[in-house]
Amino acid sequence: MTEWTNEPGLCPLRSSGPRPAGLGAQAEVEETLKRIQSHKGVIGTMVVNAEGIPIRTTLDNSTTVQYAGLLHQLTVKARSTVRDIDPQNDLTFLRIRSKKHEIMVAPDKEYLLIVIQNPCE
Amino acid sequence: MIRSVGPQPKKSISFTNTVKGGQTKGYIGANQSRMAMSKTLMVLPEIKTEKMNISTPRTAIQVINALGVDVTPRPLYHQDPHMGTAKPNKLLTSQEGSYSSDYISSYSLYQNTINPSMLGQFTRSVLGSSSVSKSSASTTESIAEDLEEPSYKREKLTSFTDLRVVRATPEKIVTKEDLQKTIEITLTETETLSFFNLPTVLISVESEEAEKVIRRNKIYETLCRNRLGNDLYVERMMQTINGAPKNKEVQCDKIVKEDKGVMSSTWDLYDSYNAMDLSPLPTKQSMLESTSKASIPSKDREQRVIGSTIEKNSEASSLMDIENVILTKIRDDEEDHSESIMKSDKFRQDLFFMERVLMENLFQPKLAAYHQLPVLKEPEPEGPEDFLEGEKLEQETEEEVKKEEEEEIEIGTEESTIPANLERLWSFSCDLTKGLNVSSLAWNKTNPDLLAVGYGHFGFKEQKRGLACCWSIKNPMWPERIYQSPYGVTAVDFSTGAPNLLAVGYHNGTIAIYNVQSNSNVPVLDSSESPLKHLGPVWQLQWIEQDRGTTGDDKREILVSISADGRISKWVIRKGLDCHDLMRLRRTTVSSSKKGGEKEKKGEALISRQAPGMCFAFHPKDTNIYLAGTEEGHIHKCSCSYNEQYLDTYRGHKGPVYKIAWNPFCHDVFLSCSADWGVIMWQQENTNPFLSFYPTTYVVYDVAWSPKSSCIFAVANESRVEIWDLHVSTLDPLIVNVANPGIKFTTVLFAKQTDCLLVGDSDGQVAVYELRNMPTALDSGQGDIIDTLLGPKSNQQG
Repeated sequence: MTEWTNEPGLCPLRSSGPRPAGLGAQAEVEETLKRIQSHKGVIGTMVVNAEGIPIRTTLDNSTTVQYAGLLHQLTVKARSTVRDIDPQNDLTFLRIRSKKHEIMVAPDKEYLLIVIQNPCE
Repeated sequence: MIRSVGPQPKKSISFTNTVKGGQTKGYIGANQSRMAMSKTLMVLPEIKTEKMNISTPRTAIQVINALGVDVTPRPLYHQDPHMGTAKPNKLLTSQEGSYSSDYISSYSLYQNTINPSMLGQFTRSVLGSSSVSKSSASTTESIAEDLEEPSYKREKLTSFTDLRVVRATPEKIVTKEDLQKTIEITLTETETLSFFNLPTVLISVESEEAEKVIRRNKIYETLCRNRLGNDLYVERMMQTINGAPKNKEVQCDKIVKEDKGVMSSTWDLYDSYNAMDLSPLPTKQSMLESTSKASIPSKDREQRVIGSTIEKNSEASSLMDIENVILTKIRDDEEDHSESIMKSDKFRQDLFFMERVLMENLFQPKLAAYHQLPVLKEPEPEGPEDFLEGEKLEQETEEEVKKEEEEEIEIGTEESTIPANLERLWSFSCDLTKGLNVSSLAWNKTNPDLLAVGYGHFGFKEQKRGLACCWSIKNPMWPERIYQSPYGVTAVDFSTGAPNLLAVGYHNGTIAIYNVQSNSNVPVLDSSESPLKHLGPVWQLQWIEQDRGTTGDDKREILVSISADGRISKWVIRKGLDCHDLMRLRRTTVSSSKKGGEKEKKGEALISRQAPGMCFAFHPKDTNIYLAGTEEGHIHKCSCSYNEQYLDTYRGHKGPVYKIAWNPFCHDVFLSCSADWGVIMWQQENTNPFLSFYPTTYVVYDVAWSPKSSCIFAVANESRVEIWDLHVSTLDPLIVNVANPGIKFTTVLFAKQTDCLLVGDSDGQVAVYELRNMPTALDSGQGDIIDTLLGPKSNQQG
C-alpha cells in the first residue's frame, strides 16, 4: 500500500469545537483523568510517584499515602512473582477485588496509578 | 671514650634495681653501657625537680667507633637554652596526673620499655661475644646506638614541649601589606639523615669479600660440628630474665557491624545479564578483563537494584510517619518530576487501560450479554473475559479464539411464553454527541469492537456542525477518536484493505479519509481540493475491492460514493484522491421505457437532468454490478463497465429510496426502503416488487439484513425499530421497539458476531440492543428458507 501523508493546510475539516487538537498530551491526560474520576462508582483516583508522594489525588492525604505505601509493596511483590516465573514478562496491571470495592493499580517505574471503584451499583 | 660519671643518689629507686638485675660478668662493653644507662636515667629526675635548667646537667655522650672516629649521633633538634622551662612540666603533669606515684610508674614504664631492649642487647652481646671476638666492638656500637634511642626519645619529648612553648609566644599581627609582600622561600637540601641501616648479610659470590665470608662460614660449620663432643664447649643453663609484663588496655572506636543480605531472584539475574548484553564488550583483546570488570558492575547493579527497592520500601513506610515534613520540603523539587510523569506516554496509556477497566466493571453484565458470555455474579467471580488489550486495530485473534471457546449460544430453552424482544444493553453517547443526529454507522472490518458513527442532519435546513466518532465497545462512555467538522457527516465507512482508514462523507460533498491509528484529527486525504468533488451531500460511501482483471493488477480497493449531484464516483488513492465517474444518474420518467434514455415530457421543465442518488449497494458476489437508488424512487441496476446506461430499473417506490440492501445469503434478493413509508423486497430478475411492507406511516430511514439469518431484517423508521422475520410472518414485524417521543430512529446496523443490533437516533445516541428469544436459531442462516418463501409466495403489491 502506498504511504499516506497528511495534506498540509487548506483543510476545511480541521477540527474545532470543545476539544481542540493542539493542546497535546497534557490536556488529553487531564481530560481522561477527569473522566475517570467522574465515572460511576469510582471512589477515588490517585497518582503517586515513586517515593509515595501523591501527584494527583481525590482522597485525603493520609488515605492516599496509606494506599500508596501498601500498594507499592504489593506491586513490587507481584512484579517479582511475575518475573520470577518468566523474566521476560512484566507486570502491567493489578486488580484487587474485595467485598466492598475493587482496587485497580497500573504500576510503573516512576509512578502508581490507583483507582478505587465500587462496581456494585 | 665514654666519660663516666658516678651514679648519684636518685629519688627513683626502681631504676637501679632493674639495672642491677641485669648484671653480667665484667665485660667491658656491658659496664660501659650500664654506666651509660645510668647516666641517661639521671636526666629524668632533673626534669622532675622543676628548678634546674634542663639543658645544663645533660652530659654529652660521645660514641667513638673502633677506628677512633667520633660518630656521636647528633640530635635533630637543638633546644634553645634561653627558653623557659615551666611549661613542659605542667604538660607532663597534666598528661600523667598530679600524683607522683603515677609519675614514677609512668617513668618506670618508660624505663621498662627500654630495659628489655637493652637487656636484650645484653643477652645478645653475651652470646655474641662468647662466640666471636670480633662482635664485641660491634655490639657496643649497637648497644650504644640503642641507648641513644631513649635519649632521643626523651629529647624529643622535651623538644616537643619546647616546641610548644616556642610557638605560643610570638604572635605577630599579619597586616595586609605583609600578605602581599612577596616572601622569598629558599629551599635547600639537608644532609641525608640515615635513620636506619640494616647491613645486609648476603654477599654476592663474585664480590671481593666473598672468599672471606666463605671461609668464615666454613669455620663456623666445622665449629658447629666439633662442638658436640668438644671439651672446649660446655653446655650451661642460664636463666633469662623476663621482664614483668604489664597489661595496658586500649580502647578503640566502636566497630560498627552491619549485616547485609541480598536475595537474587530469577528476574534479577536476567536483568543483570541483559544489562550486560546491552553495553557490549569493547574488543576481543580485552575480553577477559572486561568480563571480569563487567561481572563486578553487574553485581553492583544487582545490589543497587535490590538496595533501591529495599530503600523504597523503607522509605514508603517511614514516609507515613513524617509525611507532612517531607511533603512540604520536597514538593518544590518534585514538581518538575511529577509534571513529567503526567506528560509521559506510559501514563497516558495506563490511564487508557484504567478507563477501559472501569468500563468493564461498570458494563460487565451488558458486555457479557453482548458477547454472549456468562455474566459475572458477585461475589463469586467466574473469571470474566479480560478486556485489557488496548489495541484497537490489531484486535488479536486471541480474543476471537477466546470468544469461540467460551461462547455459549443461548438458544431459548425456556418455555417460550416470553416473546422475542429487544433488550437494550447500553448506548454510546457522550456530551459531545448530544443533540446530533446519527446519520451512519459502520463497523471496522478487522476489529469487531470498533464502530464508526457519523453525526449529521439530513435536511438542508437543519444543518449543524458534524462529527465523526470512532467508538469502541470497551468504552461506551467516551469515543476513541473524534473528528469534528463544520459540516454534517452523512456517510462513514471503514476500509477493508487498510482497516485503519475511515472514509467520511460530508453534507457539502467533501470526502475525507482519516487514519484512525494516529491521534491526529487531520484527515489524511481530502477531496475538497479535487475538481471532481461532489457538489451535493455524499449520501453513501463504500469501499469496494474490485478485480482489475483487464489491467492485470491485483484486487484494488476503491471508494465509491454517491451523492445528490447525481453522480456515482469512484475514488482511487494514488498520490491524492483521484476521481472517476462510474455513473451519472439521469432522470427518468415513469411512463417511459426502462432504458435510461432522456425523455422529456411535454411541458415538464426539469431543473436538472441529474437525479440525485441516495444510496447504492454492490452485489455481494459480483462487484461489477450494483444497485443505485435515486430520489425519484427508482432503483437502477448498473454495471461498472457501462457508465452511460442502466442495466435495469426497478420501479416501485414513490419516494426517495434511502437504503438498498442485498440479502447476504440469497443473492437474488434485496431490500429497499424509502420515504414513502415502505420497505420493498425485490428479486433481481423481476423489476416489480416481490414483497412490500408498509407497517407505519413514517418515513423509513434504514433497513438492514441480519448477518445470521436470511429471513430476518431490521427496519428503522422515525418512530420505531422493527425486526421482521419472514419465516414467521410477512405481514407483521416480529419485534417492535417504539422510540421515546421526540426521538427518531435513523440508522440500524447489525453486529456481526453476536445477536445485537445497533440503532442510531436523532439525539446522538447509538443504542445497543440484544435480540432475545428469537424463535428461529439465529445462526442457521441458510438461503433455503428464503427460497421456500420465494417459491410458493409471490405476493405482488404495486
